[in-house]
Amino acid sequence: MNSSGRRGVVSRLRVFPLLTLTAFCIPILLGLAGTWLPAFGFLPVIGADQLSLAPFRELFSHPAYPGAMRGTLISGLGATILALACSLWITVTVYGSTLWRLLIRALSPLLAMPHAAFAIGFGFLVAPSGWLVRLVSPELTGYTIPPNWLTVKDPYGVSLTIALALKETPFLLLMCLSGLNQLDMRRTDWIGRSLGYSRVRIWTRLVLPQLYSQLRLPVLAVLAYSMSVVDVAMILGPSLPPTLSVLVDRWFNDPDVHHRLLGAAGATWLLVMTAEAIVLFIGCEWLIRHLTVGRLTDGSRTTPLDRLRWLGSVSAVGLLAISLGCLLILVIWSCTGRWPFPAPLPTDYSLRFWEKGLGLAIGPLAITFLVAALATCIGAVLVVGCLEYEVRLKQQGRRPDSQWVLWLVYLPLLVPQIAFLFGIQTAAVLLQVEGTLASMVGIHLVFVLPYIFLTLSNVYRNFDPRYIRVAVAVSGAPVRSFFQVKLPMLAKPIAFAMATGFAVSVAQYLPTMYLGAGRFMTITTETVSLAGGSDRRIVAVYALCQFLLPALVYGVAIFLPAWFFRNRKAMQN
Amino acid sequence: MRNVRSLLICLLLLLMVQPAWGGSGDWSAIVEKARGQKVYFNGWGGSDVINDYIRWAAEQVAERYGVEVIHVKVTDIGDVVGRILAEKSANRTSGGTVDLMWINGENFRAMKEQGLLPAPYTQLLPNYRLVDTDNKPTTMFDFTVPVENLEAPWGMAQLVFIYDSAKVTTPPKSMHELLAFAQKNPGRVTYPAPPNFHGTTFVKQVLLELTADPAVLAKPVSDADFSTVTAPLWDFLDKLHPLMWRGGKSFTSNASEMKTLLADGEIAISLTFNPNDASNAIASGELPDSVRTYVHEGGTIGNTHFLAVVFNSSNKEGAMVFADFLMSPEAQARKADPAIWGDPTVLAMDKLSKEQRKLFHDIKQGVATLSPAELGKVRLEPHTSWVEALEKAWISRYSK
Repeated sequence: MNSSGRRGVVSRLRVFPLLTLTAFCIPILLGLAGTWLPAFGFLPVIGADQLSLAPFRELFSHPAYPGAMRGTLISGLGATILALACSLWITVTVYGSTLWRLLIRALSPLLAMPHAAFAIGFGFLVAPSGWLVRLVSPELTGYTIPPNWLTVKDPYGVSLTIALALKETPFLLLMCLSGLNQLDMRRTDWIGRSLGYSRVRIWTRLVLPQLYSQLRLPVLAVLAYSMSVVDVAMILGPSLPPTLSVLVDRWFNDPDVHHRLLGAAGATWLLVMTAEAIVLFIGCEWLIRHLTVGRLTDGSRTTPLDRLRWLGSVSAVGLLAISLGCLLILVIWSCTGRWPFPAPLPTDYSLRFWEKGLGLAIGPLAITFLVAALATCIGAVLVVGCLEYEVRLKQQGRRPDSQWVLWLVYLPLLVPQIAFLFGIQTAAVLLQVEGTLASMVGIHLVFVLPYIFLTLSNVYRNFDPRYIRVAVAVSGAPVRSFFQVKLPMLAKPIAFAMATGFAVSVAQYLPTMYLGAGRFMTITTETVSLAGGSDRRIVAVYALCQFLLPALVYGVAIFLPAWFFRNRKAMQN
Repeated sequence: MRNVRSLLICLLLLLMVQPAWGGSGDWSAIVEKARGQKVYFNGWGGSDVINDYIRWAAEQVAERYGVEVIHVKVTDIGDVVGRILAEKSANRTSGGTVDLMWINGENFRAMKEQGLLPAPYTQLLPNYRLVDTDNKPTTMFDFTVPVENLEAPWGMAQLVFIYDSAKVTTPPKSMHELLAFAQKNPGRVTYPAPPNFHGTTFVKQVLLELTADPAVLAKPVSDADFSTVTAPLWDFLDKLHPLMWRGGKSFTSNASEMKTLLADGEIAISLTFNPNDASNAIASGELPDSVRTYVHEGGTIGNTHFLAVVFNSSNKEGAMVFADFLMSPEAQARKADPAIWGDPTVLAMDKLSKEQRKLFHDIKQGVATLSPAELGKVRLEPHTSWVEALEKAWISRYSK
């Protein structure tokens, strides 16, 4: 293989970053433009054709605005800080222990659990009429009717914050895990200990400064997500007023069409707020680094934080227990016949809601599977193509010119969904593509792809190039070597990344609502729609279905490579 | 004597207008055209029993007329109105994504004003002639907006309160009594936050009961002195809220959530627009057997919910066939059965044949369902313009 031939392969691979970019930029740019114009008073359909600041003025003077902003900021910033602190502290104190291994094993089901299902389970758990109170009533509490507490839908969004933090912690833990694989933990630990550093000190002095750069982007994604989430906020968030994102969603859907301008202004403002929060976060990060950089070499071997090590184990156990509790309560409710308060368990059981629910959920499940599978497969091909292009450029000693592309790929994670979905909807209607399978897969791809990228890129970039060099040297066929050596060796992480992408697609609520035109009822839209209804038993069945689909795919993603390579000892780990 | 005369006038009118409607020939042409069409029916999908009923109706029209109906379950029909508007703005005058929708009130007014409805059509539907337009004025005026044959009446609704007779012996029979009840039982009363439909209805009911002259509410809000008319309402709510569930700091988001709270015993009184709702919930095991319903002494707000064909539907005939079937005595009687759904009929019993009437008489009313006499006087909805004004004022007062 001469060098011009190799260059040919590389230039052919260039199509992947370009394709990926098109898949992203077009919908997002269209969406943003289609939201910004109405935000400035331009939406000719409803007779608004004068550019003005009136929608913003109306937004800021809206009575619900201050409260909505308060809820958004508390839940957005609070959930991010809590999730980050939780995941870092768990990693610092539990890493390498039995509990850590248990946690890692539990990550897949935790990640597979869609936000809506988790929120429903969490609500069933902690509400004043929830399971926790039922378990201890009336014996310990004396309650024969549920107490008048504000444990869900509280006006400050505390329950929403906690639920979001719990749901995001496993994702950040996964990111910690993938970042740690980049670092030589064994030797770092060895050196640190030989120098007499305490465990926490090793982490704060030696590991975290290296690890954090890997975590920055996921943390910002969590921040943007928490500030703009709609489905979880509808289930657990404050009601009076709701968070800004829910309010914006409501305005977009108000029968009075002039509210769309207000909605667009709100969506745009949410984007500005998210950008500000991101800047604030990066600023804090810079500040902390500057304040602590001098102390990195101060030689102190211990830290008062050592005394808080128990907190890490407690958080890890708490996270596992609450998640398990959410799942368990969903299972119990789905099999309940009757369960009056304050009985600790249902007074009679019935499987009729499963019989009924499964029959009904099968259609939405099939649609969910179809869209998720298509989006995930397309996403995986694009991501692998992009990464391969980058790797080959590097091998040729050329600087990957696609670094900025990578940041663009993460754009959908940093821009609140509601800030551009309205615009995409308008554009899709103009192009007459709303409610088609293509537009559904396309919009899901926008959110699936970044997560596949995020989960896969580290492993892929660190793949030992010598394997492929040997393979090419032996066979002389780079393409065959790629498919027969590299892909199988990376099958496990690719399958895992695809499962993550699949779970992300399943959990999409707003994109499905805004582009599905009611033709695509996924298990998630059905579940959220039912969560507003009353019958907990049927809601539980749906939430479990919503969870089981990605859980199954995660199971396959873990089992299949293991089974496939059952005769390859080195691939078993 | 007067009845006979009005009947004669009606008949005469019917005969006179008949040729203009086109007669039954048109209908069979519509039925013919409807065969094979795929109708996307958009409606609230939050209730299991209603979804079951719609599935049954869809199976029936598939079998009888070859029309395929797909129930698109939405959380809020308002967002569908938005989508249709977006389609209109994109000049999509055919092939719209929505063929038929379940609406009333504000959404109907919005669709009518924005021109999202096709030419009047309900007069073409054979079963429309059975609708009790004489005694049920809300079938002609949807929240005081003239219907003008743009939507087909589907069911009747009246605000009814639900309580557990095992826990509450004498339910409050007026808003004043409700306040007294809340004073005695703090934390046990609530209502959904407006702009939720049921929440706004509760506020309107308070206003209707407390305002000095309810007649002004029938006219547009711009004709009235809003602050004077609504002063007793805010005064009442200011007193009620601190005594409510969660101290009035958090509200439920809809009536279904209220039902769950009632089932758990968190609140003592829930509300619904379906007089059969409670019986229904007893049958499905959602609420205890001891649950009963009541209305306020001066009467409660009632209205009608409708089916509207959308202007850019390419399956209008199929949608009309489905709407007509839903108005048929058979479908209406099934719908009125509390064991199925329990939604009161829009049909006039005296316009039905003996066999058709029997369908309705055979329905076993649930223990928690009030008789028409007990339901008492229906109060008409205030003019639709009040809805927005009240919601706005409510939000600026309490949503902070």
